[in-house]
Amino acid sequence: MPLELKARSEATVPKPTARSRKQSALARRQRNEAVVLAVPALIPVIILSVVPLLIGVSLAFTDSQLISESAPGFVGVDNFARLLRNGAFWNAFGIGAIWSVSVTALQLVCGLALALLLNTDLRFRGVTRLLAIIPWAMPPVVVAIMWQMIYSPTNGPLNWFITSLGGPRINWLGDFSLALPAVILVGVWAGMPQNTISYLAGLQQVPVELLEAARVDGAGAWSRFVHVTLPALKPTIISIVSLSFIWNFNSFGIIYVLTAGGPGGKTLLPMLFVYIEAFRNGNTGMAAAMTDVIVVFLVIVLSAFLLRNFRKGVQA
Amino acid sequence: MRNQPVLIRTLQYVFLAGFLLFLGFPFLWLISTAFKSPAELNSLAVNLVPLQPTLDNFTAAFEAQGLVRAAWNSVFVSVVTTVIVVIISVPGAYVLARYRGKIRAMGSGWVLVSQIVPVALFILPLFFILRMVGLVDSLGGVIAVYVVYTLPFSLWMLQGYVAAIPVDVEEAGATDGATKLQVLTRIVFPLLQPGLIATAIFTFVAAYNEFFFALVLLQSPENFTLSVSLSTFSNGEGLSEIGPLAAGALIASIPSVIFFAILQRRLTGGLLAGAVKG
Amino acid sequence: MKLRHTMVATTVALLALSGCSSPSTSSEGGKTTLTYQYFNNQPAAIAATKALVDDWNKANPDVQVNLVQAPADNLQDKLTTQFSGGVAPDIIQTISPSDILPFAGNLADLSKLLPAETVNDIDAGAKDALTVDGKLIATPTEQQTYVVFANKKLLEQDGVQMPTGDTMTWDTFQKLAKDTTKGGVHGLTWGLKSPTSAFAYLGTGFGAKYFTGEGNDAKAVFGDDELQVPERVQSMIKSGYVDPTGVTQSSSDVLATFYGGKAAMTVAGSYQIANIDSEVPAGFEWTVLPALEGSQSASQLAAPITLSVNAKSKNVKGAAEFVNFYMKADNLAKINLADGQVPPTKSGLDALSKLTNGKNGWAQIIASGKNLVNPSFNSLKKYNSWKTTIATPGYQQYLAGQISSDQLSKQMVDGWTGINH
Repeated sequence: MPLELKARSEATVPKPTARSRKQSALARRQRNEAVVLAVPALIPVIILSVVPLLIGVSLAFTDSQLISESAPGFVGVDNFARLLRNGAFWNAFGIGAIWSVSVTALQLVCGLALALLLNTDLRFRGVTRLLAIIPWAMPPVVVAIMWQMIYSPTNGPLNWFITSLGGPRINWLGDFSLALPAVILVGVWAGMPQNTISYLAGLQQVPVELLEAARVDGAGAWSRFVHVTLPALKPTIISIVSLSFIWNFNSFGIIYVLTAGGPGGKTLLPMLFVYIEAFRNGNTGMAAAMTDVIVVFLVIVLSAFLLRNFRKGVQA
Repeated sequence: MRNQPVLIRTLQYVFLAGFLLFLGFPFLWLISTAFKSPAELNSLAVNLVPLQPTLDNFTAAFEAQGLVRAAWNSVFVSVVTTVIVVIISVPGAYVLARYRGKIRAMGSGWVLVSQIVPVALFILPLFFILRMVGLVDSLGGVIAVYVVYTLPFSLWMLQGYVAAIPVDVEEAGATDGATKLQVLTRIVFPLLQPGLIATAIFTFVAAYNEFFFALVLLQSPENFTLSVSLSTFSNGEGLSEIGPLAAGALIASIPSVIFFAILQRRLTGGLLAGAVKG
Repeated sequence: MKLRHTMVATTVALLALSGCSSPSTSSEGGKTTLTYQYFNNQPAAIAATKALVDDWNKANPDVQVNLVQAPADNLQDKLTTQFSGGVAPDIIQTISPSDILPFAGNLADLSKLLPAETVNDIDAGAKDALTVDGKLIATPTEQQTYVVFANKKLLEQDGVQMPTGDTMTWDTFQKLAKDTTKGGVHGLTWGLKSPTSAFAYLGTGFGAKYFTGEGNDAKAVFGDDELQVPERVQSMIKSGYVDPTGVTQSSSDVLATFYGGKAAMTVAGSYQIANIDSEVPAGFEWTVLPALEGSQSASQLAAPITLSVNAKSKNVKGAAEFVNFYMKADNLAKINLADGQVPPTKSGLDALSKLTNGKNGWAQIIASGKNLVNPSFNSLKKYNSWKTTIATPGYQQYLAGQISSDQLSKQMVDGWTGINH
């Protein structure tokens, strides 16, 4: 969402390019003003965000341990070399990729579908809209506890429904092939609001005249959606998909409580893996190397995605 | 041709019902579980409406799990974070919206970076830094981290609202050599109020719901926030206390749900649109 | 100027925030408050611990003990974070020696702090496991075993021979599971979500070692002896004698199935006796079957719950006195009774035998707690990492039929090599 805000607001930002001859003096005064105004936000950001970020990146090149009397020593790219051979990490990476792609894609489809429904004159829209926001408001830990109850093999409602139709009793979160799909569903549920609301806001900005014009030209509902609505929504979709993908790849709380990475590591997302490496095994240097790899991966995927869409936009 | 709208209408309602069920049922089930007796929770039978509704789970949650303390901690941390973030966001957002130059570029860059970088990368050094100043296992440390962690979003939201205030309004008010600070407090601040409310609620909810930092930084039960407290009861062998857990989870989600219900009209009515259009 | 002001303000704010922090140990005018962190989440054991701490606090107004709970599942993360953050509690309870060993350097030497009679009373095997570089870093307090709980009515109704005596062989047990599987009832439900401990305890009877050598030179072994228990369990699952859903759940989760009469037996840590005792529906008759016996013995592991003192505590002596109080025969017996376990001290065991005289299931549990073997992995620092990241997932995959015995062995051995450096 911040990305989108930025994109839209760009146009309204005044350009304080000086018109007078006192150009440099004015510019300097403005710069000083800006510095003073930004300082209250700048200081905590530098101490608790920029500095940690730099330390975090560099920790990856040390043998830093969580519990250690001695200062960490520089080990070059040792951690990365060992990481290359760490099958369990790449396995977690793969699971993270499946998880984020599935959750993001399903969120896009479901969020857009629900937004389209909410943008009509259907009844019960108000209730649905309220319900669509609830997952956003709930702490991830509560979301996980709640779904644990839904998935309970002994007395959960989902199994009750399936067995009453004659199906087998299933331990959703304990089954090797079902655990990941089951947590993906929870991920979709938890991320529905951000998606739905953003798309709804986007839909309300689609110019009515364009839709009217298309209708007059005899375009059907589907054709209007594909040729008018979708192109208008494209900037929103691109920014929401990018952000959702990052958030999903980095998600932690839901899985930590829901499965703790089990069964047999089938839902062990990268972040959980990093957490275990740092705070259970105490290998902070190695854990930092893992996060560095994750960041590089995300930056590459994101740039590729954004560039591709940007190029298309230019050609069109 | 007449038939098609009816068919489409029906399909639309079917989908809407599906979404209603998917989104609403888990919450309904949580409520139901919170009111069930231990006997009913231990049996293999499944009912949405508790056979003998009881408030025992709520009493148990309040007594046994130190939940009251955790709730207080959560509210304290979130409120303090919100106040600090709003105070430092206003001038920061003003700079982002009104000035061009290095600061703005750096600010935007940082907002973007902070969205991409996994919090795990921050937590290791943050842990070391907070350990140096003795702020591990303290609410103060968590507040400091939350301020920085919620700041990017809050800045971007607010700068959207600032950008929506026409520069003319500001210039008209800024006669007689008023200082920038005076312009900010007298003109910009009052006009920003809708944006401030939305930003404050977002910050509150983000801090209130946060789990990862709290899990790592808070070690003593008297410092736990609700999320940490609940997570310690949700996994592990020997937990036959689903009832109190559900009750606790339900209580924990009340503040955020209420806030979002209030904000709902603004959210859909044009959090984004409003911020930009003004 | 402005910048400097803001820096000062920020520093002041940070210091003010530091004021919010509360040190774990506080002392005012000679009175100390110590923090005792325990992980137990069994209601009866929690009550017994609270009672014990209350007794101590009444008798020792100058050294008050404040009880705090830690999550059992993530105890290792918790302790790692606490010790590295410098906020570890004064007195620390852990689930087993392997949980506390990584922190040996931060713990006080109890062999010097506890009276000789207390130290000499401790079971020799357990004492060995907890001695690091000549320092006794913890005392054992409770010893669990794995036992078979049975639904009396279901067993009798099937006309099977109720096993008697001190032990029961695995073959007898497997036949029992087979005979009681009928009409929608499984012979056994076994919560094997975290199977490593259960298999290690019961594997001891087959001579399973898992490791040879020590420290960095330790090698993992996973041969026929180690495979006995997993293979037997898997064959029961494949034959349909075990409730398949329960295999992926925790031992507490499956109790609902056991109480509901959907399974004739359940294998669980002896600590479940406390829950079963308090939770069973009216009219439900249960018993504990004789201890499971492998091809070599009915021995199980010595991997006791432990109590340690933080060397950085402001009152190490006071903390050690509390530990000594905890180790008194009567106190230990009460805690173990509430928690369904057996004290690893001679005097504690005698006191518990008296306390449990005639109580359902207890004779078998006390019998199963004899002849405990101190496993070599108790002293391996990386054992817990291996257990959570290699062994548990490996067993889960094996039980789900995803990998073969050979693959399991290979994963277990190679996984250890990857971790132990």
